[in-house]
Amino acid sequence: MKKIFVDYRKCVACKSCEMACAVAHHPSGSLYGLVGDEKTQVNVRVLGVEHEAFPVSCRHCDPAACLTACPAGAIARDPETGAVVQDPAKCQACAMCAMVCPFDAISFKHTHRALPGREVAYKCDLCHERLAQGEVPACVQACHSGALVFKESEPQREKRAVSSLKVYLLGEGGEPPLFSLHRELRRKTFARRRMGKS
Amino acid sequence: MKIVTVGTGMAAAEFVQQLRLGGFEDEIVMLSDEPHTPYSPCVIPYLLAGEPPNNVFWKGRDFYERYRVTAHLNDKVVEIDREQAQLRSASGRVENYDKLFFAAGSRSWFPRPEWLDIEGVFGFKTLSDMQGIDRYIGEQAVQQAVVIGGGFIGLDAALALRHRGLQVSLVHCHDRLLERMTDADGGRFATDKLMQRSGIAFHMSAEVDSLDSRNGQLHSVRLQGGTAIEAPLLIIATGFKPNSAILNGGEGGIAVGDDLLADPRVLVAGDVAVTRHAIDGPAGVYATAPNAIAQARVAAANILGGNERYAGSLNANVLRKHLDFPVVSAGLFEGEAVTFTNDRLFRRVYLQDGRIHGYILVGDTRLAGYIYNLYVSREPVAAHIAGVLADMRGESYYRSLMDLAPAAISC
Repeated sequence: MKKIFVDYRKCVACKSCEMACAVAHHPSGSLYGLVGDEKTQVNVRVLGVEHEAFPVSCRHCDPAACLTACPAGAIARDPETGAVVQDPAKCQACAMCAMVCPFDAISFKHTHRALPGREVAYKCDLCHERLAQGEVPACVQACHSGALVFKESEPQREKRAVSSLKVYLLGEGGEPPLFSLHRELRRKTFARRRMGKS
Repeated sequence: MKIVTVGTGMAAAEFVQQLRLGGFEDEIVMLSDEPHTPYSPCVIPYLLAGEPPNNVFWKGRDFYERYRVTAHLNDKVVEIDREQAQLRSASGRVENYDKLFFAAGSRSWFPRPEWLDIEGVFGFKTLSDMQGIDRYIGEQAVQQAVVIGGGFIGLDAALALRHRGLQVSLVHCHDRLLERMTDADGGRFATDKLMQRSGIAFHMSAEVDSLDSRNGQLHSVRLQGGTAIEAPLLIIATGFKPNSAILNGGEGGIAVGDDLLADPRVLVAGDVAVTRHAIDGPAGVYATAPNAIAQARVAAANILGGNERYAGSLNANVLRKHLDFPVVSAGLFEGEAVTFTNDRLFRRVYLQDGRIHGYILVGDTRLAGYIYNLYVSREPVAAHIAGVLADMRGESYYRSLMDLAPAAISC
């Protein structure tokens, strides 16, 4: 099974992943369709933490705490892709899943996939419909800097998936010089901002 | 090996599904005093709020056929002979078993059972209860309802009816709601929010004295002190009792170890099981869906030849239905309290030996999963938990992973 891995040292917080995700999950399939649409669903969130940036989304854990906690039978594992997928028709937005998700990957709102007038839980679905067409997840395709990588996950990583995000982090091989420079600049900008505040 | 389940609730349904998915080919018989396909008790209140009726059948409407189960419904088990390994039902049916999965669930406890004889008075536990209430509201064009009980189930009922558009009054004997799920301050915060925003009329520290009926139908509910609330519908959600008497003669549940066995041939799970707490709480009946599902999975894995141990139950729960301010809590509210609160949020953890012993989070679920995992993993948190509680963006977990110092608390 392939999963999305993160090399956060390469994330430049451009948010292309967020945009691509929103478009891929919008019924219009177009950027223009998102404008002013409150039902737009964005399953990845680039979180800025000081000078670092991190694209936050579902890690499709195995075993998945959310799947076991769901009392509505609304979360299942897609047999083809291994993705943990929610059924918006069954979801009652009771938040049992969010209560146990270590990654804060589950949010609630009225989405286009929900029945009219209903809030549902939503999260990354690994673009399993795109995968079935032979494509890669929209966020990975959109990531220009190589921070998001879609690749085979070894069995031992799956075993550890629930307990830590660390198994999804890449970057042991170091970072290219340009990224180092970029990170250094961000670090300094952040430090300056912080000094200005105090 | 012939397997018989007493009950068709969450534990039994999960158990049977896991057995069949795991390749179990022998005979499975399920018995229940209810007439339904397995349904989710957590979903049925939504039925009253106008959800599609099929959504309650969380494993599908065709459960019995799909998993090749012989189901004897509407037939209460009245006797279990553990020596002979057989049971008898109210209709006189006798079933032998090689393994019995005892998941008989629990039933509503009513302070005044005779009130249920009045038309328009209901419990709030089973799918039949919900269908009865739904039909009654439709037929009588009910506009007002009273709910007794301000715990999780009572609020669930009141919020569902409110969502449907009824005027709802809730009578609670305590001065705050959800008093088992929260401590005094957290409960007060949640109660105030519910009073301001739920549209329900709350009668706190109040008890129902009597019911007035006309032609056998409920007309009004009279509180101690004389207040009368006119309503043709009353829902009583004042607690539940495990259906354990049939197995052990008592009503306090059935104590089992980590193998979930009451004896070598009887497995116990769900609302009747007394299990140990996964962290440090006392043993007890921990009647939530995730516990029941986890128990069912361990039981099924062991039948399939595995050697799994049940890791213990958690009393973690969340109330979010029809609310924009979820209430999340777990553990015991004892020890050193660390609190963050503003006009929107109340977050508190109780620490013991520097580790989370219990917590209450009202207002959002942003931190819920992170705190839950800190709690379950027994990680020492005393040094930075105050900063974590003040986290508005859900960055604490990622901060710890990127080797950044915990956020300073901004004033």
